[in-house]
Amino acid sequence: MDVELLIGIFPQVLLDGIILGFMYALIALGYTMVYGVLEFINFAHSEIFIFGAFVGVEILLGLKSVGLLDGLPWPLVLLLVLAAGMASSGLLAVTVERIAYRPLRGAPRLIPLISAIGISFFLQDMIRLFESLWHNAFNLVYPTMDVLNQRFELTETIDVSVKSLVVIGAALLMLWALYLIVNRTKVGTAIRAVAEDQAAASLMGIDVNRIISLTFLIGGAMGGAAGVLFGVQYGLINPYSGFIPGLKAFTAAVLGGIGNIPGAMLGGLVLGLLEAFAAAYLSLLTNGAFGAEYKDILAFSILILILIFRPKGLLGEIVRERA
Amino acid sequence: MPSLFEARGVTKRFGGLTALHAVDFAVDRGIASIIGPNGAGKTTLFNVFTGLYAADEGSVTFRDRPLLGLRPDQITALGICRTFQNIRLFSNMTAIENVLVGMNSRITLGLWDVLSRNPGFRRTESELAARAVRLLQRVGLQASVNVVARNLPYGDRRRLELARALASEPALLLLDEPTAGMTQGEASALMHLLRGLVADLELAIILIEHNMRVVMEVSDRVTVLDHGEKIAEGPPREVQSNARVIEAYLGKRGAGPRARSGA
Amino acid sequence: MIHSLIAVAVLALSAFAVATFPRSVLVFLLFQGSLLFVYKARIPERLRWGLLAIALLVLMPAIGYFNSYYLEVATQVGIFVALALGLNIVVGLAGLLDLGYVAFFAVGAYSWAIFGSPHANIIFGGEGFPLAGWWFYVFLFVGLGTAAVTGILLGLPVLRLHGDYLAIVTLGFGEVIRVLANNLDKPINLTNGPKGITPISRPPTPFGMPYGEYFYFLALAIVIAVIIANRRLEDSHIGRAWEAIREDELAARSMGVPLVRMKLMAFACGASFAGVMGVLFSAKQVFINPESFTFLESIGVLAMVILGGMGSIPGAIVGATVVTVLNLQVLKGFSLWLNELKNAGVTIFGFSLADLPTQFEPAKYERMVFGIILVLMMIFRPQGIFPARRRQRELAH
Repeated sequence: MDVELLIGIFPQVLLDGIILGFMYALIALGYTMVYGVLEFINFAHSEIFIFGAFVGVEILLGLKSVGLLDGLPWPLVLLLVLAAGMASSGLLAVTVERIAYRPLRGAPRLIPLISAIGISFFLQDMIRLFESLWHNAFNLVYPTMDVLNQRFELTETIDVSVKSLVVIGAALLMLWALYLIVNRTKVGTAIRAVAEDQAAASLMGIDVNRIISLTFLIGGAMGGAAGVLFGVQYGLINPYSGFIPGLKAFTAAVLGGIGNIPGAMLGGLVLGLLEAFAAAYLSLLTNGAFGAEYKDILAFSILILILIFRPKGLLGEIVRERA
Repeated sequence: MPSLFEARGVTKRFGGLTALHAVDFAVDRGIASIIGPNGAGKTTLFNVFTGLYAADEGSVTFRDRPLLGLRPDQITALGICRTFQNIRLFSNMTAIENVLVGMNSRITLGLWDVLSRNPGFRRTESELAARAVRLLQRVGLQASVNVVARNLPYGDRRRLELARALASEPALLLLDEPTAGMTQGEASALMHLLRGLVADLELAIILIEHNMRVVMEVSDRVTVLDHGEKIAEGPPREVQSNARVIEAYLGKRGAGPRARSGA
Repeated sequence: MIHSLIAVAVLALSAFAVATFPRSVLVFLLFQGSLLFVYKARIPERLRWGLLAIALLVLMPAIGYFNSYYLEVATQVGIFVALALGLNIVVGLAGLLDLGYVAFFAVGAYSWAIFGSPHANIIFGGEGFPLAGWWFYVFLFVGLGTAAVTGILLGLPVLRLHGDYLAIVTLGFGEVIRVLANNLDKPINLTNGPKGITPISRPPTPFGMPYGEYFYFLALAIVIAVIIANRRLEDSHIGRAWEAIREDELAARSMGVPLVRMKLMAFACGASFAGVMGVLFSAKQVFINPESFTFLESIGVLAMVILGGMGSIPGAIVGATVVTVLNLQVLKGFSLWLNELKNAGVTIFGFSLADLPTQFEPAKYERMVFGIILVLMMIFRPQGIFPARRRQRELAH
């Protein structure tokens, strides 16, 4: 076992873990916020996430085809793409809520869950349909912007791409903005109130339906931002790429305590780091016996174990069933 | 002679709240009632007896067998069954199907018997069905055998719950407010039925009730709980005139809310 | 009387129509519709079952003679009917939403695939495998057993979970099984990873029957066995206990129903049906790989149960038929039809269909079909097309 190698790759793995973690955190926020106000798992959130990525790629491809991509300053392009991704994902989330979840609000819990699964599948193929007709391809590659591919040397052995720094920076900004919204604005307080006790909140004069829509909007927007960053960071997307990251982000949300916003951020980071280390070291340590795909099993196993042994997660609370 | 059922020093806490504090209770035969103001812990006590809650302290024995730590279905198999304050029938199943589920702990058929439909299975099923019909007749529901539980009138639903509880052939029956929502006439009829059951089936019954007339009429003994503690116990007449009991229900004579603030 | 004549006529005519137009998907759908008609028509029971028996045992294979693809469709329908009936026990009767049901199908399939092909030689060394073809019949039971055990293993940890959490955990399990199947080619090569296992032996057929017909009849036989098992379970204290658990777990417990045992039994029974069909599937396909056992398949089976009606046997059958036919025939037929139109140079509103992107293939849009089915059913008819009727208990005197 080449210990030097193991230590040598550590910083890179750490970085990968952080990036992955922030991305999971952003997606996890969508799950956790919706669960907080409705006690409902928005299964379709993984598609809302990847939808943002597709909006992003379409804009970039569009800019590229008119030759503007390299002409415009890259922060502007990034801002544009992020804003578009967030807006469209947010709106998609609100629409889905209106059409597929609101009519089912009173029904037994399994019914909206199944509806959400249906929407998830439907959206996957809708994106495929659209892209097949528009580009005759649904595996799309994010156009690169050369400036983002430049690498900085931090130390002798570690270098990091501008892209990675940008992704981390954007993610941090999003998380901070969300924190401010939820904790420092009236809207945020209303959301927390509805999450706490819907009946009481409505008695206080809060329009619960509006707040729920807003929650979907914000959660969706976070997912959309994550989608754009995902596309920028990893380059290749297809309509089905949302499923696994979505499931993992849900794991992160549960890990942190479903319904708990700081929990989602913490869970995302923990899961991202665990996964990055598993992906890098598992293979090395076992001489290739356990390949990188086992990192997926790691995430699912964590999910299963938490739900069985500590469903409240790291920061959450237990909901007790009354006899 | 040892008691059929004996609970000693039962204590149950929920976080900072002590719902039950060192409650002693025993019953051997006949009908014992538990009364007390709302929130006194009566249903909590039932939940501890039937294994839905784990007691923090104390012991509960049935026919000298300790019950604490057993699962509800195990306790039912031993011979204790209950009804619920808020009626928990299987709404989409018929009356007879509800009763048949109650018999589950007495059925010894296995998976293979079911899949092969052997003569033993057929015989057992028809015996069970016959018994179920008899139970429904006993509680006066012979006309509603195949009616879906959801569609039964309120009084009939309570009777069905009783029939279902009797299906497991219990030696001890725990009834949680069985006359709630009934007219006085219906309540009396139910009490008459209960007395009949006690006599015919050698049953012991523990009753949680708010209807005082019913309690006085039918109980052999009355126990009073208040704020999780037993404050009185004895024959109905005695308890009725017990000062502490009156105070628990009505508050201190001539005092306003301030006087009770320490309670 | 009139009804009986109509039923016979409808069946005969549609069968004849298929023989006349073997390439028409629409006509074949008509034939299947006529089966449903016979099932639902108000005719004497004897006639009903007689007609259905003739339709399934004689007419269908005859149709297969005219167009072997239809026999393939019918066999696939049979496989999925058994899966739907199995999931029906877990979801419909016991009320446990299992999103990873396909894992049991995979377990059954791989059990025969490993031992019924030379692959076992890689694991155990030597030249002893594949086992002779007739071992297949033994493995039908091996697959049943292994799947049942897997069901119990899955059930044990999830017992205390409810609703959403249970669903997600089962989804996780399904994915774990898939990833394992895809990666267990090292350190020991159990599943041969993404490359899959082939060639898988087929049993010798009775009377030298061709394999198309053989697998059709075998699937039919297994489906009948599964239906019988299902009805017997439903109509017993076990079925009642499951329903009670679904209605009100707390009350069920308090009435003496042993939750753990009953839930595990539901998982095991449901899983066993999938296991048996898995064995058939691997022998029929001769080649399997992890791609056949994904979340898509689990949701497909769920869509069948929901469409047909949870807890309802005819519902599961109809649901499985509709969804399978939608995917295998309608979507595919649509694809083919579109191609024909393209080749013929047809234009719509001045737009030439030949200009449609080549990537656009309707046959691939199964997800959209499942998704629409699930959402529409939940919003408009959550009880399904044929909801489970409360079965009137026959009182024995």
